[in-house]
Amino acid sequence: MQPSKTKSRSFRRVFKRVISKTKVFYEQRKPKAAKCADCGAKLKGVPRLSATKAKNAPKTYKRPERPYGGELCSRCTRIRIKENIK
Amino acid sequence: MFEIGRLCVKIAGRDAGKKCVVVDILKENYVLIDGLTRRRKCNLTHLEPLKEKIDIKKNASAEDVKKAFKKLGIDLVTKKSKKSTIKPKKVKVIKKSVEEKAKKKVKKVKAETEKKEDIKVTPKKEVNVESKKKE
Repeated sequence: MQPSKTKSRSFRRVFKRVISKTKVFYEQRKPKAAKCADCGAKLKGVPRLSATKAKNAPKTYKRPERPYGGELCSRCTRIRIKENIK
Repeated sequence: MFEIGRLCVKIAGRDAGKKCVVVDILKENYVLIDGLTRRRKCNLTHLEPLKEKIDIKKNASAEDVKKAFKKLGIDLVTKKSKKSTIKPKKVKVIKKSVEEKAKKKVKKVKAETEKKEDIKVTPKKEVNVESKKKE
């Protein structure tokens, strides 16, 4: 399948009502939300940034500051740490 | 299970995966911990107890905890606070002597006065006279 990057009409169309008229706004699509590697739940504290914005954003803004932050959800990290002790 | 001196591992937060010891019991679900983590209040649901136990007193100081951890073979590194140092003030280097500056000031004042005189010399009245002649 053709990647959306090379398509001519890859922008998302949003219909908004502006003073008794519906107008079309074109917005860039966001990447999908990050997911936990173990359970597949949506990760909190990980914003949906495009590649160019993520490059310039600080590290602490992009992931929670704990071991396995941005990889596993908080519930799975507790299980993982308990397994590592034994 | 969570008596004073019980070794634990923290599960949640930025100190997760680090070893600590229970120093004091505060409320039903809260204890005071110290060790490789920061010395802080902690919920019991955020702790995983280990089999080992250390002999320390209630409300033991950070130094006592450090000695107890050394017997287990763990070195606690305490951060040294930096002493505030006074920055050396920058001394301005005067390149031009005072006399030269004074001379320049006089020149500037002269130039300004000349300009003002030039403006005064060319009034608008002359233009009016020429226009009247044409009529």
